Amino acid sequence: MCQKTEIVGRSLFGGLSNSSPGLLTTSHEITCNNLFTQQQRTFIQMRTVLKVVDNSGAKKVMCIQALKGKKGARLGDTIIASVKEAHPNGKVKKGKVVYGVVVRAAMQKGRCDGSEVKFDDNAVVLVDKQGQPIGTRVFGPVPHELRQKKHVKILTLAGHIA
Amino acid sequence: MRLEKCWFCSSTVYPGHGIQFVRNDAKIFRFCRSKCHKNFKMKRNPRKVKWTKAYRRVHGKDMTQDSTFEFERKRNRPERYDRNVAENVLKAIPKIDKIRVTREERHHKNRMKGKKEKLMKEAVRELEQGISLVKAPSVLQQDPSLTLPKIKVKVSQQQSEENHAAMEE
Repeated sequence: MCQKTEIVGRSLFGGLSNSSPGLLTTSHEITCNNLFTQQQRTFIQMRTVLKVVDNSGAKKVMCIQALKGKKGARLGDTIIASVKEAHPNGKVKKGKVVYGVVVRAAMQKGRCDGSEVKFDDNAVVLVDKQGQPIGTRVFGPVPHELRQKKHVKILTLAGHIA
Repeated sequence: MRLEKCWFCSSTVYPGHGIQFVRNDAKIFRFCRSKCHKNFKMKRNPRKVKWTKAYRRVHGKDMTQDSTFEFERKRNRPERYDRNVAENVLKAIPKIDKIRVTREERHHKNRMKGKKEKLMKEAVRELEQGISLVKAPSVLQQDPSLTLPKIKVKVSQQQSEENHAAMEE
């Protein structure tokens, strides 16, 4: 009987603590999650450095503006970026301001069927203002969501579609 | 609609469930739930994690080779729709399922074959080694009712209970 009462008391207590809307509990949970998992991946925002995965001549660009979304760009969005590293004789020179489509993002994005997809790194394909790619090749996998975003040219250039 | 298998635990990933991770060499890892995804991120080997299908296969817990698994294989060539074929397939599915279940049961039975004798042997050994803790050897000699065969019978009853418990598990 004693044990039973104890259990009941505990469960009551637990219920109370759960029902109380506590900011403390949520923050505790977040810290616990961070302990066990990898770094939290987030949006592509100002000063995010992305890899360029085409033969336009740029190697690394830094995001200076996301064209859509308040928090930043996600998979498939267009960004404005400045070229930080470039090949010596490419089309795009270092320091230029370019447009790019995010073709790979480490932050997961929901798919139309409710599942999610995420990639290894943050990568971009440089495009002009009309959305036509500057380079003639695209390296690595790209998501099929680009078709909805009207970037069919990038999809045809890409070798793997995930 | 294709039902994929989870990379970690080999369970079925239904549409709209789980997360998929695409590596830079375009290999796709699909996970049925966050549990499997987290285990992948911790770089665990599914062959060493006991609750996965891979572990059970490697350690001979499950049936590995069977003709019923052939039906579930991934085919890259799309099958042309034929009404008769579809009907026959629907009819065959429960039958194949039944066959697979019975075969798995048989496999489990075969695997558990020596279990009873093993438990019995262990219990007898423990009894012989530890009887002196319950009764002093001199008492055993004086009282004929406490000789080993009788106690053996008693314990074998207990064992049968134990075996029942093991079977239930």
